[in-house]
Amino acid sequence: MFKKILIANRGEIAVRVIRACKEWGISTVAVYSDVDKDSMHVRLADESICIGSHQPANSYLNIPSILSAIELTNAEAVHPGYGFLSENYNFAKILEENKIKFIGPSSKHIKMMGDKIQAKKIAKENGLPVIEGSESGVSNLSEAKEICKKISFPVLIKAAGGGGGKGMKIVHEQKQFDELFSLAKSEALKYFGNDEVYIEKFFQNPRHIEVQIMSGKNRTVHLHERDCSVQRRHQKLIEETPSPVLNDIIRKDLFEKTVNMVSKIGYEGAGTVEFIYQDEKFYFLEMNTRVQVEHPVTEMVTGIDIIKEQIWIAFTGDTALKQSDIAPRGHAIECRINAEDASKNFQPSPGTIGMCHQPSGFRTRVDSSIYQGYKVTPYYDSMICKVITQGRNRQEAIQRMQRSLDEFVIDGIATTIELHQKLLNHKKFLNSDFNVGWLDNEKII
Amino acid sequence: MEIDKKIIKKLVEALDELKKSLKDKDLSQIENSNVTKIEEEISGTIIKSPIVGTAYLAPEPGAKKFVEVGKKIKKGDSVMIVEAMKTMNHVPSSSDGVVKKVCVEDGQPVEFGQNLVVLE
Repeated sequence: MFKKILIANRGEIAVRVIRACKEWGISTVAVYSDVDKDSMHVRLADESICIGSHQPANSYLNIPSILSAIELTNAEAVHPGYGFLSENYNFAKILEENKIKFIGPSSKHIKMMGDKIQAKKIAKENGLPVIEGSESGVSNLSEAKEICKKISFPVLIKAAGGGGGKGMKIVHEQKQFDELFSLAKSEALKYFGNDEVYIEKFFQNPRHIEVQIMSGKNRTVHLHERDCSVQRRHQKLIEETPSPVLNDIIRKDLFEKTVNMVSKIGYEGAGTVEFIYQDEKFYFLEMNTRVQVEHPVTEMVTGIDIIKEQIWIAFTGDTALKQSDIAPRGHAIECRINAEDASKNFQPSPGTIGMCHQPSGFRTRVDSSIYQGYKVTPYYDSMICKVITQGRNRQEAIQRMQRSLDEFVIDGIATTIELHQKLLNHKKFLNSDFNVGWLDNEKII
Repeated sequence: MEIDKKIIKKLVEALDELKKSLKDKDLSQIENSNVTKIEEEISGTIIKSPIVGTAYLAPEPGAKKFVEVGKKIKKGDSVMIVEAMKTMNHVPSSSDGVVKKVCVEDGQPVEFGQNLVVLE
């Protein structure tokens, strides 16, 4: 096994990886920015190195600094967590060239799935249903109009090199199209240095469903699905497994097609294939080539430690998992707790945490990096903590989550705990009668 | 009785002197702080940061800065961006005016209420 792993991340995911390493007797190296020196991941790791100032570009995205930290500490492998450098193929490539193991897929696969047009093409070639639209980039207006005629409005114009909603335009009618098409192109050029855009049918109110994959040289297995349809502005708030809206026939089809695609491209590591789901049909959206924020819900029902499996695949090349061993039990839910004031239009709420009491108890899990007296800085993502509960069924998982959130005390800053309490009691949530547009169209708090 | 009066007079004088010296000190201190306060007040309208975060002088790296010294701006114009938790908060100008001073550097951490821009 690896003797030492460097964790190129911060916050709860760095803590999550350090915990897995500790249980396997692997030494850990934390890297941190100057403002993070009192962070939990720095305290828990065996060694820690400051790699730059508060701005991500100077620290957590600073490849030369991280390489120096690897060299100084003789780490054999790097776990990138999620966000930051986790889907940066250049970082993975540099590590490959320097014989340092990147705990994740090859740089080739990161690049392949990072280009959204190419990813869609690969998914289609390997038998996954994709959203109707242009097969490749569209550069001229008449070609674009031709596609719109074929798929009918509303359509979505997306940047080929895009992400994060930038350069994305929804067009409801023909008459808006010319203007929005040129606007999308100019934004794509501005943000991504490439004015290539593509056009897709726009889905008004789909569910977001994704399949967790673990893949080695020997085989590919799936760890069932997650439903992440409670979102606000494309940011997931609540995730659960299994999805309350899939039936077993569709589920089986979804898993077979996903595993087939992932094994055909020779993917190695943990990955998530995301889909949108509407009118009993699923369509490939994208593939995340890393561990995801919501991975604990899958861990809760399958009993599989996804981080340890990632490390195992990185070390041996094979996955130790067999499909026949994977039998999820019950239902699990995760609530993301953000340092935001939901009553003030989700305004960020950095500050020092006063009293802090985290819930616990039967089948309640808290993945966090906060503690009493910890200063939440304004420099990074507002997610400070995740609460995960499991129950025999959806109802019990929800009841347990309500009980857990009632116990949770975080003084000194505003958090989204209260919003979650309202959502969990909402008729629409209880009846699973919602889609990704729910919180953007209805005011809950 | 007369002797007593003399002693009292002396004591009163000593006390007055002490009072005077203390007053002078206090006064000079008050005056000093007045001077700095007046200086700031005279310099015009101050636009302060509405939130703790990282200040950016331009909408994106390499782009033209929102404001430069000497630029005429209108009420509501963005003077900079303060990023907090990946949210970009545009800071609007509170009044019309000419930029006299930009108090922060690009990428600098700023606190709530910190002076960002001075207008005149």
